[in-house]
Amino acid sequence: MSLNVDRDSMAFTFKGGMLPMTVMELTSADPERIREQLASKLSQSPAFFQHTPVVLNVEKLDEPHLALERICAVCRAHKLLPVAVRGGPDPVKQSAWALGLGWFPPQEVSRPRPLESVVADGDAAEHEPAPPSESPESTSEPVLPDAPPGTTAGGRIYRGTVRSGQQVTAPEGDLVVVGAVNAGAEVLAAGSVHVYGALRGRALAGIHGDAQVGIFCRELHAELLSVAGNYKRLEDIDPRLLGTTVQVRLSDDQLGITPLS
Amino acid sequence: MAKIIVVTSGKGGVGKTTSAAAIATGLALRGKKTVVIDFDVGLRNLDLIMGCERRVVYDLVNVIQGEAGLNQALIRDKRVDNLHILPASQTRDKDALTLEGVEKVLETLNQDFDFIICDSPAGIERGAQLAMYFADAAIVVTNPEVSSVRDSDRILGLLASKTRRAERGEDPIEEHLLITRYNPGRVDLGDMLNLEDIREILAIDLLGLIPESEAVLRASNQGVPVTHDDDSDAGQAYADTVARLLGEEVPLRFHEYQKKSLLSRMFGGTRR
Repeated sequence: MSLNVDRDSMAFTFKGGMLPMTVMELTSADPERIREQLASKLSQSPAFFQHTPVVLNVEKLDEPHLALERICAVCRAHKLLPVAVRGGPDPVKQSAWALGLGWFPPQEVSRPRPLESVVADGDAAEHEPAPPSESPESTSEPVLPDAPPGTTAGGRIYRGTVRSGQQVTAPEGDLVVVGAVNAGAEVLAAGSVHVYGALRGRALAGIHGDAQVGIFCRELHAELLSVAGNYKRLEDIDPRLLGTTVQVRLSDDQLGITPLS
Repeated sequence: MAKIIVVTSGKGGVGKTTSAAAIATGLALRGKKTVVIDFDVGLRNLDLIMGCERRVVYDLVNVIQGEAGLNQALIRDKRVDNLHILPASQTRDKDALTLEGVEKVLETLNQDFDFIICDSPAGIERGAQLAMYFADAAIVVTNPEVSSVRDSDRILGLLASKTRRAERGEDPIEEHLLITRYNPGRVDLGDMLNLEDIREILAIDLLGLIPESEAVLRASNQGVPVTHDDDSDAGQAYADTVARLLGEEVPLRFHEYQKKSLLSRMFGGTRR
């Protein structure tokens, strides 16, 4: 029967989530060298080492057998919690599993995929599995489950009205909404947000910090506009711009809204 | 095969039960075998609006829990032959309903009726989700007011994701907009949202527009669905709504403010 209706009787539900995750990109497999570097980092910024979960990325290492157990012990001694390993050959994968760690496939450089994807998930906020991350940042990147079918590696096109309570996300590229975004709805993108309709809800572009992106909409009534964390509420928007076609961009850390003609 | 229609809104007090009763009555008057089910367990109202509160013995919860047969719980309407009412329980709460139980009741009714109207409780929780889960079509009742429009928008999102049709990837549920308590005079004054604004925001097809009318309150308190009052504007508007639901093309009425002429003001007018 339905997963969603009989919620009261269930012990848990599976949900997709994007969590910020520190990736430790190893360039040496020598536990001693790792220990030295960690010790010096710990003295510089002790606040960082608070049982922080880390993913050990071993893609840059070219060693079939890794002293994974010792590396993990060194990390734990410095209050880092290894939770998973990314990349590496099969023996590395096996030893990660043996140590109770997860294993992620290596980052792919680029995957050719069809350009358009439409995922008409209704109440997206509650059951949206996010596609895998391929963002190039090395220090902090989201760890994500597998992509649902119909989602491209890059951008995303959503056709239809995004309704109150719904959330539509493009965690890697641009988001194009062919329709309106209603009040109480939220659209988010790592890249730019394009709304070919009225934007009445919240629009957040550059959610991973990219300041070069923008928000473009046919009819501005947004509750909130944000580019790379710089935001404006509806109250802060010049009333003369309401209802017009605009672009929203960041210049000198100021969110600028200009008419698009 | 019956068509299962849920009457829903998210927000309370917008006229779901009144509309469910009026539309069910209208369908029955048009010769369709219709049953209207009250899903508002614990806040039973449909029996009052239908004027059958004195004849309730068993209810939906009794049927689901196997304490009574469906035929024992169904109440035949006194005014229209083809109409039956399945009341809700007043002494239980919404946890008494199960998905399997509701499915079984609907499957049984499916064989004997043309239309099954599910009167949803307010809110977006379990009760409302059970009422909509098996529906083929939804009538979203909205008042010309911002909070009602927003709640309807939320319900439309749920209809697109939390129904059996959505979960099975079947044809999406038909979505119809029913605007109630519309007062063209107050719309012109800017006190109420106008029809076009509501349609633009919700972006679904308009099934009907029911003017704000004294006839509705009178009908509720007398326990006679307003569709029977065919002299009244609201009664006629519900009849139009039912005709559109049956696929007929009916022009929209009652959406423009009519200034009363001198004569009608002198003699009291005929619009009620």
